[in-house]
Amino acid sequence: MALNANYIARETGQNLGRNPTLTVASVITVSIALTLAGVALLVREGTNNLAGKFRGDVELIVFLDPEISPDQRQAIQTSLDENPEVSTFSYVDEREAFEEAQDLFAEQPTMLRLLREGDVPTSFRVEPANPDFQSVVALRSIYEREAGVEQVESATEAIRAIQELTEKLNFGVLFASAVSAGVSILLIYNTIRTAMFARRHEIEVMKLVGATNWFIRVPFILEGMIQSLLGGALAVGLLLGLNVFLFGALANNQYFELFQNFEFSIGTVIGTSIPLVLVGVAIGAVGSGFAVGRFLDV
Amino acid sequence: MIKLENVTKVYKGDVVAVKDGSFEIGKGEFVFLVGPSGSGKSTLLRLLNREEEPQAGHIHVAGKDIGDLSSWKIPYLRRNIGSVYQDYKLLSTKSVYDNVAFALQVIGRPRHVIKTQVPAILELVGLAKKHKNIPNELSGGEQQRVSIARAFVNRPLILLADEPTGNLDPATSVGIMRLLDRINRTGTTVVMATHDRSIVDTMRRRVIELDRGTIIRDQARGVYE
Repeated sequence: MALNANYIARETGQNLGRNPTLTVASVITVSIALTLAGVALLVREGTNNLAGKFRGDVELIVFLDPEISPDQRQAIQTSLDENPEVSTFSYVDEREAFEEAQDLFAEQPTMLRLLREGDVPTSFRVEPANPDFQSVVALRSIYEREAGVEQVESATEAIRAIQELTEKLNFGVLFASAVSAGVSILLIYNTIRTAMFARRHEIEVMKLVGATNWFIRVPFILEGMIQSLLGGALAVGLLLGLNVFLFGALANNQYFELFQNFEFSIGTVIGTSIPLVLVGVAIGAVGSGFAVGRFLDV
Repeated sequence: MIKLENVTKVYKGDVVAVKDGSFEIGKGEFVFLVGPSGSGKSTLLRLLNREEEPQAGHIHVAGKDIGDLSSWKIPYLRRNIGSVYQDYKLLSTKSVYDNVAFALQVIGRPRHVIKTQVPAILELVGLAKKHKNIPNELSGGEQQRVSIARAFVNRPLILLADEPTGNLDPATSVGIMRLLDRINRTGTTVVMATHDRSIVDTMRRRVIELDRGTIIRDQARGVYE
């Protein structure tokens, strides 16, 4: 049967205006749920960028024992030469190492005075062929065991620490957003039940004169979906605001260099928001769908 | 038009509303259902538009066994049945015109149909001048006329009336009965449950009398008792 678009638009509009407090409560709850989910998605995006950046210039530093024999050093060099997992490598001798250390401690005159050429360990700088986590760890364990190697350092630890931290953070945020999504469904369910109860006489007449159940339901379902759509729009606004004022501030803060990857382009935020808004509309559809299903079985 | 075969309806707690009821009502008939309160008159009417379902027996309306209807088809059954009640069931926030138009809107009638049929039916029930009033501004008799207009605006095959004069004084009731009679003469089958002895005795139509759910009398051109 033809659902009259005018009629539906008018009914839905009236319903929304009839109970402003409940409507506002539903909209805000949906927007909180979606904002939390959006933050989780953005933080994950940021972590991926971060890890990617580390991977780009990932480097193993194989520090050599000061007592290393030339033969041992040659053996390591040969091994690096022949290892297909190694892309390029270079040797940093005592002079170069000393110069680097001088740069590093440029603002600490005491250290500079104490530092002598030969105090700073020599090293191989190794660029792995595969910059992913597993390959780097595998390379590390090979050269840690070589004779004459003091220790091997790489950025893997930092990457892993950041990944673990953000995974926990993400779990927390996603959990909170799931809870508020559940609360949103219940609230929309209740809002729609209340709206239907307020209009029960009308619904009774509609049923008596032969309106189909869907004709009665559609305006109420639309009401729930519009509430959650408004919540979704609000969430997009909140995310854009957060991106500027929180992530932006973090990124520009010199003490949090790591967060430089946490300022997102508006395109990224909007891209993240589209699935959120869809989830929001689904929340509205589920909440109001349950509500109309139960009310009409009279 | 309407055929009941051994219909039994029992409510919770073994309250027997209709017991093994059978009758047939032809097209264009006018039938009174009489009997004391609780004798099953209202239940019978509710069975006819499938607001209730019987535990046993078959009910045919317009040639169809309505027990076989799937629930999504019930609205289409009801489009052929107009209903009028003692308490009018009007929407208090809508005008007379909108109350009647509502019945057509919600079954998806196009606007040009509504625009011609609503004024015509309001003319028929004598309320053309009050189409802008809301129900609270009308007398009981006028409100019942609105409710009849709403029930009849879609030209149903059957009109069910449950104590339509129950809240009205005798003079007003006569007016309502004239209206129902007029609708009946357009070929619409009318089934009316009533307590009103003088109406039944004046109209001299078919009378089906119920007592505690059992049909104890079915009389053409009958009286109340």
